[in-house]
Amino acid sequence: MTILCVRFQLPPAHEAALPGLLGLLEDFTPVVEALPPDRALADLRGAERYFGRDAVELASVIRVRALAHHGVDCMIGAGPGPMLARMALRDARPGVTRAVTEEEAADFLAEKPVAALPGVGTATARTLCEYGLDTLGRVAAAPLSTLQRLVGAKAGRELHEKASGVDRGRVVPNGISRSLATERPFSRDELNPDRHRRALLSAAGELGARLRALDKVCGALTLTVRYADRSSTTRTRTLKEPTAHSAALTRTAYEMYEALGLQRARVRAMSLRAETLGPAEQASHQLTFDPTDDKLRRIEEVADRARAKFGPHAVMPGTLAA
Amino acid sequence: MPGFTHLHTVSGFSLRYGASHPERLAERAAERGMDALALTDRDTLAGTVRFAKACAKAGVRPLFGAELAVEEYEPVRQERRRAPVRGGAFIDESTPRVTFLARDGARGWADLCRLVTTVHTAADTPLLTWAGNHGDGLTVLLGPDSDVGRALTAGRPDRAARLLVPWRERYGDALRLEAVWHGREGTGPGSLRLAARTVGFAAEQRVRPVLGNAVRYADPGQGPVADVLDAARRLVPVGAAKELDSGEAWLKDAPAMLAAAERIVEAAGFRRDTAHRLLEQTRATAAECLVDPADDLGIGTVHFPEPHLVGAGRRTAQRTLASRAAAGMLLKGYDRSAKGRLYWERMHQELDIIAHHGFASYFLTVAQVVDDVREMGVRVAARGSGAGSLVNHLLGIAHADPVEHGLLMERFLSKRRLVLPDIDIDVESARRLEVYRAIIGRFGTERVATVAMPETYRVRHAVRDVGAALSMDPADIDRIAKSFPHIRARDARAALEELPELRALAGEKDRYGRLWELVESLDALPRGVAMHPCGVLLSDASLLARTPVMPTSGEGFPMSQFDKDDVEDLGLLKLDVLGVRMQSAMAHAVAEVERATGERVDIDAIAPGDPATYQLIRSTETLGCFQIESPGQRDLVGRLQPASFHDLVVDISLFRPGPVAADMVRPFIEARHGRAPVRYPHPDLEEPLKGTYGVVVFHEQIIDIVDIMTGCGRGEADRVRRGLSDPESQGRIRFWFAQHAAARGYDAETIQRTWEIIEAFGSYGFCKAHAVAFAVPTYQSAWLKAHHPAAFYAGLLTHDPGMYPKRLLLADARRRGVPILPLDVNKSAVAHRIELVSDSGVWGLRLALSDVHGISEAEAARIADGQPYASLLDFWERARPSRPLAQRLAQVGALDAFGANRRDLQLHLTELHRGARGGGGGQLPLSGGRKTASAGLPDLSSAEKLSAELGVLSMDASRNLMDDHREFLAELGVASARRLREARHGETVLVAGAKAATQTPPIRSGKRVIFSTLDDGTGLVDLAFFDDSHDACAHTVFHSWLLLVRGTVQRRGPRSLSVVGTAAWNLAELVELRAEQGLDAVAARLAEPVPEAGEDSTGGRRIHLPTGYELHPWADLRPAGQEPSQVRKLWHQSPGSAG
Repeated sequence: MTILCVRFQLPPAHEAALPGLLGLLEDFTPVVEALPPDRALADLRGAERYFGRDAVELASVIRVRALAHHGVDCMIGAGPGPMLARMALRDARPGVTRAVTEEEAADFLAEKPVAALPGVGTATARTLCEYGLDTLGRVAAAPLSTLQRLVGAKAGRELHEKASGVDRGRVVPNGISRSLATERPFSRDELNPDRHRRALLSAAGELGARLRALDKVCGALTLTVRYADRSSTTRTRTLKEPTAHSAALTRTAYEMYEALGLQRARVRAMSLRAETLGPAEQASHQLTFDPTDDKLRRIEEVADRARAKFGPHAVMPGTLAA
Repeated sequence: MPGFTHLHTVSGFSLRYGASHPERLAERAAERGMDALALTDRDTLAGTVRFAKACAKAGVRPLFGAELAVEEYEPVRQERRRAPVRGGAFIDESTPRVTFLARDGARGWADLCRLVTTVHTAADTPLLTWAGNHGDGLTVLLGPDSDVGRALTAGRPDRAARLLVPWRERYGDALRLEAVWHGREGTGPGSLRLAARTVGFAAEQRVRPVLGNAVRYADPGQGPVADVLDAARRLVPVGAAKELDSGEAWLKDAPAMLAAAERIVEAAGFRRDTAHRLLEQTRATAAECLVDPADDLGIGTVHFPEPHLVGAGRRTAQRTLASRAAAGMLLKGYDRSAKGRLYWERMHQELDIIAHHGFASYFLTVAQVVDDVREMGVRVAARGSGAGSLVNHLLGIAHADPVEHGLLMERFLSKRRLVLPDIDIDVESARRLEVYRAIIGRFGTERVATVAMPETYRVRHAVRDVGAALSMDPADIDRIAKSFPHIRARDARAALEELPELRALAGEKDRYGRLWELVESLDALPRGVAMHPCGVLLSDASLLARTPVMPTSGEGFPMSQFDKDDVEDLGLLKLDVLGVRMQSAMAHAVAEVERATGERVDIDAIAPGDPATYQLIRSTETLGCFQIESPGQRDLVGRLQPASFHDLVVDISLFRPGPVAADMVRPFIEARHGRAPVRYPHPDLEEPLKGTYGVVVFHEQIIDIVDIMTGCGRGEADRVRRGLSDPESQGRIRFWFAQHAAARGYDAETIQRTWEIIEAFGSYGFCKAHAVAFAVPTYQSAWLKAHHPAAFYAGLLTHDPGMYPKRLLLADARRRGVPILPLDVNKSAVAHRIELVSDSGVWGLRLALSDVHGISEAEAARIADGQPYASLLDFWERARPSRPLAQRLAQVGALDAFGANRRDLQLHLTELHRGARGGGGGQLPLSGGRKTASAGLPDLSSAEKLSAELGVLSMDASRNLMDDHREFLAELGVASARRLREARHGETVLVAGAKAATQTPPIRSGKRVIFSTLDDGTGLVDLAFFDDSHDACAHTVFHSWLLLVRGTVQRRGPRSLSVVGTAAWNLAELVELRAEQGLDAVAARLAEPVPEAGEDSTGGRRIHLPTGYELHPWADLRPAGQEPSQVRKLWHQSPGSAG
């Protein structure tokens, strides 16, 4: 019962506040894993001995500090492993930390729907429910071989263990915000490819600027197109080289968009997400004899400085200004 | 100044393009001083007849034409675009369009029909190929959308000149270039520059120019409607793909067109007065197009198939008819009967009348069709007034003997009746298309075509299309569309104001901006065209010169573009071949009895007056019986207590809106049960009125009364009867009647009393010939239900003829002691079957494979052919079901025979599927030989099984779904349908059940009453909600499936009982509350305040029927909410949506 899962009650679209809050957890333990947008796992095994309090007591301290320092309330679940901590969080309320011990784990899980289990996505959950395995209790009761026939050998074994309350996971410290995202909504059903491209240009420009401000590069770009009927299409492409260069991001975004070949689709929003972020200094860059690329990068640098001085709208591509 | 003639005008019949009805265009043309107007719809002539009639009324000369998509002479290669991952591709509208006008009388019209027919022979979209692009009687307008116009738009007069050559070769002097100015910028269609280029090009090429306005709507300000139509056609939101409508494409008057002409000629570099020459050319072109609606279209003339095709050989049709009728007389033995003379006389009279009109070919044609159908082994019966003709009976068209049943020829055809007679024949619905093919095979495609039925915008479709055009949220659109009852689009806002079940929606109506206005403006515009379900045109070989024909989408039958009214006006002979599901159901039942028992039942020859049958009818358990299964009919049957075939005829005649509204029912029932004396106005009238206790029920009786009192002859009497429904002529008839009756020596009081009867009941009576034709299948179906119940239900479930959902029929079968045998892949056939239940010796009903959701005919046949199956693997390999189908079969227990529980079976199936896909061949773990091994998955719970049955079969096959709620219903103290039979009049009760049917029929009081039927497993409960309860109940009743209702018992006879509802709740919601939060939550839900009954929100508005009665404006509609037969989900559905 030494792992905490904390959900900060952030207002929507404030994931930028998460790094600061993680710092708060790092005051207690170095083993903190961020679960964007608003959750984090913390391993308090060492901290319990150091502070002389058990995890539930520490949870109260964390809540008080979050409120005092950041004005953010939080809910906390505690358990012997990350999976149980996360499951416990579902039952927690602000001020009431839900703790699950190893002994009561199986009973605690029995009544939970399968979809609640970390690692069970909508597809797996649908498969399991189709066969009447809608609660974790039923999953635990089903023969292991049957589960493996349903969802595959490895996934079946893991599922069976997790459902029986066996939690083999560890908290893996990670850097924060492994991805950056931005969205461009349309006020009505938009079919015009020019407007779509303009939205992508603006979104890619913003991502590039944000990446460069963080001194990061991204290795992959994901395009999500949302339609009027609430469905969406998602495409991901790995960049030739990790970059934060707006022109390169825009080019990749355009390529993905063209590949969709949209004609009559009623687009309501387009969003871009930069993924697999890494530090900029470790990124490689293929030099060319073509001076254009070099010029673009220098212009970008200048534009960034101008924006830093005169605000984000000081410099922008001509098509967006119109 | 003389009026301008628009040569290029489209109406709403140009689907999702034109925004005005042809009638409106004709009216506006007359108002704006035009002498002539052309109708040139896109790829169709469907509006022609309505337009011609409207023009005749408005005093405008109609010109006929069509705007056709024409193949490009020099096709431009287009690059193929990538297939979109979502949303579909743009609708391709790049084909050039050219306007063709019929110029040269009948020849022009024939050419036009041929062209339109050719256009529709193209593979996917309508397209006129160059091979078919010719016609001597046509004038051609090349406008901005033609290939020539497009070359001019592109600034390529050289290319335009080249493209003009083939046109000039084919049409020579009849070619015109059409200039259109809609005030647009640039050089595209509607721009001043293109119009000027067209005029200049015409002068250069020495082709005459005309001025047009490419009219899409009658009035200015309808541009937004055109935008919505464009959006609906292209399936995109408004303004997404192309620029908006210019708002100029209305029916402009002469001064406006002169102004346009002046601008165009000036822009083309001519003097301003050249405009008059442009207008003069337009006028001259219009003047050349001379097609007379009466002479050239053939309105008012009749064309029958050639006599040699209907068995006349070298004799005349009349001679053939006479000899066939005489043969029929001998065959049926009437000449030897006591009344032989009467029969002969009647036959000769009828033949005289037929000869008088020259309709002999018609009778022979129908007889030929009926003979062909009978030869195919399809059950066939005549319906309608045609059954009153002895000749029809002798030819074998009608079953019932008109002399015996007192049916009159005059009701059908007399020397004084000028309209085409009308014989409808009923065939088995399942084989209707086969019958059509046989008719086409007999007479050839050049003489036969089916009739079109335009589908027009009503409120729901209008909301959907306008909503999508305005880029509203699809979920909102769906919710709004589903909350409306099936009303006209133009009533949308009035309905929001007045209907209690729309109150919630009315509260948010301002959120949707222009939606309502646009919805109303789409009212009644055609949005698609379908094949009429019963009409078949029969004509001589000139059919294709008189009507444009297109293939129907599914079966590819030739279909005339005209609808059934047009066809009548055009004098085309239409035979109604109706598919009657009950005939199919009875045929199936009889076939099942023969298959299973070897006993051959000839239901056309069953003994009349079978006591068991009438006992069944009198018990009112007539679910599934033809014509007498509706709640109202069950009530009427209960009061009437029929004991003979004649009683059935009367019963069917009484249950019509007219007689019910005129309250002919009560006096009849009182007299029948001896509670009131039978009275006749005069002893002379006893003969016609005796059979119905002095109450006028049939048209035939009115004809007889008028004939007896005035001596005018029955032909004239029928004409008089028709005049009764018109208040104006009624006054004249009254005077005429009094005069003639007095002359025959009747006293004033008798005349007065007789006239009262005629006046009160005259126009509502029912044609006895119809009723006799209906009563035959009614008796037959009741006989089957009484003697072969299992086979009867098998037929009903297979062909689903009635108004009730299938699950209700199943519940009825269960109540009547027919065992329901579950679906089993080793035993079930494609259709429902009967099976001997071994231990009891009772025939049971085995459910059919065809009822499984999503099964294809081929799959069902494959499963049935491969029986029996030894194991799951055997079934999978030989029946090769699709995976979802196999899963569904497992869910409903059709695979239970293979061992293991249903979930285990599903798992095995998934693996078999995977194995088959991997090509490895699945190795099934078997235990104990052929049984499938258990995988240890939990089996479906009992509720899950029921839910699966509803989801897969739409029926609760294993037990009634209400059985699960018995405990809760007992807690509430709900009265079951069985217990309700003992309830006192006026008692307040709670009833509950699954909703079976909901209607708001027209009612005598002019109020809107919601009638609904609940099924609770023990029987049916009929509910009525009067308008004081609508505010509280209407929404719940329409939009919930399981209902709990508080009401008062109404008794009108020993077997007649209904509950008048005062409060209604969604039972599914209450059950959920009970299960999750206990009784207190239910109590809290019941305690919620219900809306107070408000004033009559229509403000007393009523529709005044010509019969003098009043109709509530929102009665007689298909109400909102999902059809109960479509319900597949067991539990609660979100309260906002109707399904």
